[in-house]
Amino acid sequence: MSAQAPAPPSPSPGGPAPSESVPLFYRRGFRRLLQQGLYVAATGLLFWYIYDALNLREFGFGFLSDPAAFKVANQWLIDIDGVTNSRINMYLVGVWASLRVVFVAILLSTVVGIVVGVSRLSSNWLVARMAMLYVEVFRNTPLLVQVVLVYAIFLVGAPLIQNSQEIGDFAFISNRGVAIPWPVPDAGWWGAPDWFVGVWVALFIAIGAIAMTVRRRRQDRERETGQPQYANRWAFGIFAIGALVTFIVLGLPVSIDKPIIEVGTTTRYLEGMVIRPEFAALTIGLTLYTGAFNAEIVRGSIQAMPRGQTEAANAVGLSAYQRMTLVILPQALRQMIPSITNQYLNVNKNSSLAYAVLYDDLFRVAGIIQNKAGHALEMFFVIIVTYMLISLVISAVMNFINARVTRVGV
Amino acid sequence: MLPPHRERARRPRSVRAREWVRRNLFPSARGTLLTALAAAVLGGITYGLIEFIFFGANWEVITHNRWLLFAGGFPREEAWRLWVSIALVFSLIGLAYGTWSSLGRRDHLFVLLVGGFVIFLMAHGGAAVWSSVYFLIAVGCMYLGYLLTYQLPRATSSLRTLQVRVVGGLLILALPIVLVLLLVGGNVGIRDLDGFVLNLILAPVGIVGGILIGIPLAVGRASNLKTISWTCTAYIEIVRGAPLLGWLFVALFILDDIIGGDLIIRAMVVMAVFTGAYMAEYIRGALQALPRGQYEAGQAVGLSQWQRTRLIIMPQALRISIPPMVGQAISIWKDTTLVTVILPLRELKGNADSAISQFEFTPDRIEAYVFVAVIFWIVAFMMSRISQRVERAQGVGER
Repeated sequence: MSAQAPAPPSPSPGGPAPSESVPLFYRRGFRRLLQQGLYVAATGLLFWYIYDALNLREFGFGFLSDPAAFKVANQWLIDIDGVTNSRINMYLVGVWASLRVVFVAILLSTVVGIVVGVSRLSSNWLVARMAMLYVEVFRNTPLLVQVVLVYAIFLVGAPLIQNSQEIGDFAFISNRGVAIPWPVPDAGWWGAPDWFVGVWVALFIAIGAIAMTVRRRRQDRERETGQPQYANRWAFGIFAIGALVTFIVLGLPVSIDKPIIEVGTTTRYLEGMVIRPEFAALTIGLTLYTGAFNAEIVRGSIQAMPRGQTEAANAVGLSAYQRMTLVILPQALRQMIPSITNQYLNVNKNSSLAYAVLYDDLFRVAGIIQNKAGHALEMFFVIIVTYMLISLVISAVMNFINARVTRVGV
Repeated sequence: MLPPHRERARRPRSVRAREWVRRNLFPSARGTLLTALAAAVLGGITYGLIEFIFFGANWEVITHNRWLLFAGGFPREEAWRLWVSIALVFSLIGLAYGTWSSLGRRDHLFVLLVGGFVIFLMAHGGAAVWSSVYFLIAVGCMYLGYLLTYQLPRATSSLRTLQVRVVGGLLILALPIVLVLLLVGGNVGIRDLDGFVLNLILAPVGIVGGILIGIPLAVGRASNLKTISWTCTAYIEIVRGAPLLGWLFVALFILDDIIGGDLIIRAMVVMAVFTGAYMAEYIRGALQALPRGQYEAGQAVGLSQWQRTRLIIMPQALRISIPPMVGQAISIWKDTTLVTVILPLRELKGNADSAISQFEFTPDRIEAYVFVAVIFWIVAFMMSRISQRVERAQGVGER
C-alpha cells in the first residue's frame, strides 16, 4: 500500500476534471477512501491479533493498591516503609528518586556542556584539545559502562566506612557514599518549631522576587536613559542583605549538621547528608555522558554564529570573557535550546539505567512490583505514562525558557 | 613582495614553530596560567592512567577470560564461522573504502593500533597464535579488497556503476550472509550468540531493521491521509516516549505472548522497532527539508506517486539524513549493552560481569569495565570516522 508523499492534492492543470466520465476506480476521492479503508483494516487486524494474544481478562490496576511488602532504599525527605504502604506509594517514592537524579544530572550536564563546549573553541591549543578528548571519549562509550565504572570505582576504590577518607573536617568519603554537611531546621533564638524554617524560605523567595523586579526596572531604565543603573549589583545587594536580615530576625532557624560516623553493630553515617554511591554513580555517569553531547551542541551553535558578531564585539572593545558572556552565548542559546531539550529528554529516559546499579528509581521499583505481582502490561503502561509526563514537564519548562530567550529586546 | 601570510610561511620552520607555540599556548600572562593549569590537570590524569594501566591493574581478568568476553557460549569447534564472518566483513569494509573513499595515514595508524591491541591481547597468556594469524588474515582481506577497488577509475562509466552496484549490494547483503554463515548447519543455536559477538549482531540488526521500518513510517507520517499519518505519529511518539530499557522489559514479559520466539529474536525485534521510530524522525526531517520543487518536478514529468517517492524523494531524503542516522547507529551500538540489564542475555558487558563474578577476579571490576569501554569506544569511533567519509563522498551539505 503506497502512502502519499507530503504534496497536497493539487488539481492537475489541464487534466480531466473529476467528473462522471472518469471511472469510479480512478477517482481521487475513491482511491483515498480505498487506501485508507485497506490501511484501517490491516491495522485493525494487527491490533485484534495483539489484543487476542495478550489475554487481557485480568487487566486492571487494582493490584497497585495492595501492600507493597518490599523495601525501597534511597529515600530522601520522605521515609516510608513498604509494609503498610501500598505499591503505588512505593512507586511514587521511585518517581521521586528518578526526579532527583534527572534534576541534578540536567543541571550538572548543562554546566559541563557549556564549559567544555566553550573550551573546545578556546584559542588555547591545549585546552581545546583536552575538551575534544573529553567529548570523544565520553560520547563514544556506552552510558551503562560509564555508570557501572563509576560505581565500581566507588565500590573498589573507596575505603570502608570505618576508615572513611576525611575531607577537611566536615565530610567523609567511603564505599557507603559521600557524607556532607547539610542544613536542617533549628529551634534558633525563639525556640521555634520546625515549620518556622518554612516562613524563612517563603520570605527568601519573596525577597528574590523583589530583587528580580528591581533588576528588571533598572535594566529598563538603563535602556531608556543610557545611564548605567547597575541592575545586577542592586539585585544582588537587595537579595543578600534581605536574606541575611530576615535570617537573623527570625532567630537563625537553620543550622548546618556535620556528618558523624556511628560505630556500632552496623557502622553508619549519622546526621548530615549521605550521597549514596548508587545515586552518585548514576548522576556522575549521566552528567559526563550528556555533558559531552551538550558540549557538541554548544560548540555547534557558537560556530553557527555569524563571524560579524565576534568582530563587532571586538570592535566595541569587549574582552574575550565579555564577548562570550554578553554577545555570543546569549545568541547561541536560542539556537541550542531545541537540541539541548532533546538531551534533557534523553537524561530522563536514560535515568532508567538506575536498574544497573540498583538505585531504586521508578523503573526499578516498577520492576520489583512486576516481579511480585505480575501484571507486566499494566506496569509497562504505568512506566511509559510516567516517563511521558516527566518529558512533558521538561518540554514545557524548556519551551517557556525558549520563549523568553527568543524574545529579542532591541 | 609577497603577501604577509606567504611571507610568514617562508620563514624557517623553527621560527614558525616557536610562534605557533607562543600564539596557541602562551599568548599572555592569563593564557600561560590557563595552559599551566590545563597541563597540570592533563598531567595528573595521564599519571593516574599510566599508574593504573601498567602498575595498579590486574589485566588477567581480561586475558584469562578472552573467549568468554569475545564469544561466550559460542561453541569453540565452530569458531571458524566467526573468523570467516570477520574476514568477510573486513574485506567488505576494504571494498567500500576503495570504492567511495581512500585510506589516509591516520586510518593506517588506527588499523595498526587496533590490530596491535588485539594481537597483544591474544598473545598475552599464550595459546592463541592461530587466532592472531586469523585476525591478520582478516586485516589482509581488508587491504586486499581496498587495493582491488582503489585502482579502478572513479569517473562515471558503466564499469563504475557496476562496481558501485556490486559493492553496495554486498554491503546490504552482508548481514544476512553473516547470519547464515553463523547459524545455518553445524550445531550453533541462536542462543550461542554471546559476548562481543552478540553486540556485533544486535547492532546491525537494529540499524538495518530500524531503517527498513523508519522509511515507511516517515512517509506515512508525512502522508495527507489522516488515518495513516495519525497512526504513524502515534507509533513514533509512543516508542520514543519510553526508554529502551522499558521496551526490553516488553520483550521479556509481554512480547512472548505476541510473537513468541527466542529471547534474542525478541530483543532484535525490539531493537529494530525502537530504532525505527528514531530513524523515521530523521527521515521525516529530511523530507521536510527537501525543496517543494522536487515534488512538483516529479509530478510535472508525469511520475506516479510511488515512482516519485522511490526515484526522486527518497534518494535525496536518505542522503540528507545520513549524519543523524549514523548518530543513531552509534547510539544503538552503545545501547546493545542494555540487553544485559534486564534480559538474561549476556553481551560484552554482561560477560564482563560474569568474569568479575569469578572468585579470583572479584577485585578487578574497574579493569573489566575499562576494557569494555575501550572496545566500545574503538567501534563507535570507527563508525563516526566512516560516517564523516560517507558524508564527504556523498556530498552531504553541498549543492
